[in-house]
Amino acid sequence: MRIESIFIVSNFIFWGCNTSIPADEALEIGITDCRIQPPFFVQSRFDLKRSALSTSEKRSTGLLLIEIPKTNGELKRTWQHPTWQLHGNMGPISTDDLGNTYVAPVPTVNTLLNNPEKQNTIFKVDANSGELKAFVKLAMDKPDPTNVFGLLGLQFDCHSGFLLATSVSGSTRNISKGKIYIIDPKNATIHDELNGYDAIGIGTCGITGTKRVYFGLARKSEIWSVEMDKNGKFKGHVQFEISLDLLGPRGDDKARKIRFDAQGNMLVYGVEFNFNLTAPTEKQETLYKFSWNTDENKWDLIP
Amino acid sequence: MALYGTLCWHFFVGCNPQGNSTSTKSFVDTANAAAAFILDDSTISSEAWMQSYILKVRIALQNKIPIMLLESKDSFVLNAQNIALTDSRFTQYLFDKNTKQPLRNEIFNIYQARPSDLGKVKMENNSKYFRVELYNFALNIATIAIVNVTAKTVVDVNVFPDLQPEIPLHLRELAIKLAVKNTKVCKALGYKPGETDALMANTKTALNNTKCERSLHLCVAPTFVKKDKALWAIIDLTDLKLVGIRWTEVNSTGPGERIGERKLKFEKIMECYCKKENTLTRNGWNMKYIITNSDGLKISHVQFKNKDILHSVKLVDWHVSYSGTDGFGYSDAVGCPEFSQAAVVAVSEPKIAELFNNGKSVGFTLEQSFQSELWPQPCNYNYLQRYEFYNDGRFRVAVGSLGRGCGNDGTYRPVIRIFFAGDKNTFKEWEENKWNLWQKEAWKLQSDKTGYNENGYQYLVGINNASYGLEPSKGQFNDHGRGDNAWVFITAYNADKDEGEKDLITIGPCCNTDYRQGPEKFIEPMPESLEKGKFILWYVPQIKNDNAPGREYCWAESYLDNGVYKTKTYPCMAGPMFIPIK
Repeated sequence: MRIESIFIVSNFIFWGCNTSIPADEALEIGITDCRIQPPFFVQSRFDLKRSALSTSEKRSTGLLLIEIPKTNGELKRTWQHPTWQLHGNMGPISTDDLGNTYVAPVPTVNTLLNNPEKQNTIFKVDANSGELKAFVKLAMDKPDPTNVFGLLGLQFDCHSGFLLATSVSGSTRNISKGKIYIIDPKNATIHDELNGYDAIGIGTCGITGTKRVYFGLARKSEIWSVEMDKNGKFKGHVQFEISLDLLGPRGDDKARKIRFDAQGNMLVYGVEFNFNLTAPTEKQETLYKFSWNTDENKWDLIP
Repeated sequence: MALYGTLCWHFFVGCNPQGNSTSTKSFVDTANAAAAFILDDSTISSEAWMQSYILKVRIALQNKIPIMLLESKDSFVLNAQNIALTDSRFTQYLFDKNTKQPLRNEIFNIYQARPSDLGKVKMENNSKYFRVELYNFALNIATIAIVNVTAKTVVDVNVFPDLQPEIPLHLRELAIKLAVKNTKVCKALGYKPGETDALMANTKTALNNTKCERSLHLCVAPTFVKKDKALWAIIDLTDLKLVGIRWTEVNSTGPGERIGERKLKFEKIMECYCKKENTLTRNGWNMKYIITNSDGLKISHVQFKNKDILHSVKLVDWHVSYSGTDGFGYSDAVGCPEFSQAAVVAVSEPKIAELFNNGKSVGFTLEQSFQSELWPQPCNYNYLQRYEFYNDGRFRVAVGSLGRGCGNDGTYRPVIRIFFAGDKNTFKEWEENKWNLWQKEAWKLQSDKTGYNENGYQYLVGINNASYGLEPSKGQFNDHGRGDNAWVFITAYNADKDEGEKDLITIGPCCNTDYRQGPEKFIEPMPESLEKGKFILWYVPQIKNDNAPGREYCWAESYLDNGVYKTKTYPCMAGPMFIPIK
């Protein structure tokens, strides 16, 4: 297993005490879902069982609430709060245990609606009103013209109550300035950060007996992880977990989203990503499923 | 192992890589990336071993069941094959669903099924089960049948899109021959390799598995190790050609990081054409060229017979709008394949070629194409930039679309930026039978009522002491162009303001149908005087696509050739010619 040392920015370093989460507690992490449907959904008068938020609907900008048609012939209905398209095209979405939704801008095809200098802001959609407002403006340098991306991944961690985010803001072809953030949603502050990793998808799980933050690299077809302790801080070394090389139709997918099912299997949504604005109309995404092999301490691809 | 220097001894040299800062970690093996070769030649080898395989393919395509069968002396294997062919689930992807033409299909492997192959199939005692693997080259589909040869039944069939079975021995040998017989491989190695020098072309080891990530063709990589380096030769078994070659550093576990089609092409283009300017000197012309972040292939410092002509020319945007839906379309930038703002990226190197007129060489062209990954599928694009330089001093800045886009009601509006050399320049328009000087920034549309002088020039550009007639396309350039219908904008150059000298982010939206294509933002609200003598010409042709049979324009269609899909293109070329006034 590959190990890389990391630079962890923490306010405190706990010497001599065990900050790890007990294994029996860790086993439930990532499997138990706490998220609730945002109460504001009722404003749409949609069938809430068939409704979900989306940022990837064709010919629309920003966030959208969609109602999946009941039958094939039925048209998909959509609903949008007036504030949802004010900040351009959006990418990752994650909802918390109160029904608040976090979303981040990601340029699509061009930057007309997505000013590269404003791609490192997490927006929050209020659970009750549905209004979208800037939530955390993460620090960023003036963007290099070769990288128009900022935030690429979001995931609310039910176990700690923190919001995890990945950003590639400031990175260039030769320099990785990416960061992985742990954000406290209660006060919109950065709780911890991990520097030097350009990542896209992110998720937490404890199926291995240790609570780990898994993240998909933006430059390579690989998933890496780092431990998250009981204080919600990064702990220890970053380690390699899974290669997506040669998997799927393309063979060089990057992990856009990482989730875990009720059995603790890792679900990886793989896409092409090369730090450009290519966007095939038909979304080329492949789902890869991995199970934890307790005998060999590794993730196995489920064919 | 052949000896050094027996037949060829040149180490190939790609472009010179630009050095990385030693203070930062490099994510790219720049030297090997720059020295890679991309091979664009689609000609199939005429050698007997290849022609023999092609003949087998053609014969198979003429069969009632158009499958190239596995040759074997094992009666169980042959029985399993014959039984599988009787199952309609197994043979469901043999023909194109629209044209009913046969697709290239081949049985790759037949072997006794392992328990893991049987899945939910309940084994009968005393029965022999075989696994039959069929690969469809055209659709990139594997169909796997489980056959009970004892009961003569097909017990299970599964179709796997985008899955490629283990390649059979004869394709392994074909791949190796394609590699070892290629002169580029030979030159790279510095000797003519033997077929045994290629490491396991069909094994599932880390040594030679690869993918053609963009074309989704069946690809393998015969790999040649020389000292502490490995040469990857990527072979496309769907198109039966060498895609490219690249070295990697050998590490303790094998020949380094896997090289695939995308990595080979993208990193080569980045190192050789995006990170550095190249110099071109030919037929009295001198210039530099570079693929930009988002403004296409840019030429600069263009001279003819040592006289400065152009400061720079580039293609800022492609605006594509569809009349069927209000406001629907795309504003595409073209440029470098990685770390760029390009929506449609360069996937080949710039091409320099001789320019002929009536069989006689009259100059040369510099071309660059940009292509969406899934082109020619709907809503994917392929754009071409072509600069023409003539021996008599004429030059043309041409651009074109090769389709296919999201519909047959599309209008393409490429935004070309032309910055002339010199600082005492003038711009005149042919109006009412005379040349009228433009005093201020302005724009004008070419239309049916546009006046041209006796030579067909709409404008006259004075560059220092020389003059050039600007002749827009009215369909006269023998490139199937049907006229430019172009907007021309003249904007004053301001050294203290960046109005497109650096890479421009998207200059305008997709779907404005009037003059508001982007350059007007440098004119309005108060047009500046042009008296300072330095200005930019923005040229925005308007090209309507067409898919009517026989009239295709800005279009592309797939057709079958030897059972695999190829693309026929119908480019729509536009752009002005500049003719020196003697």
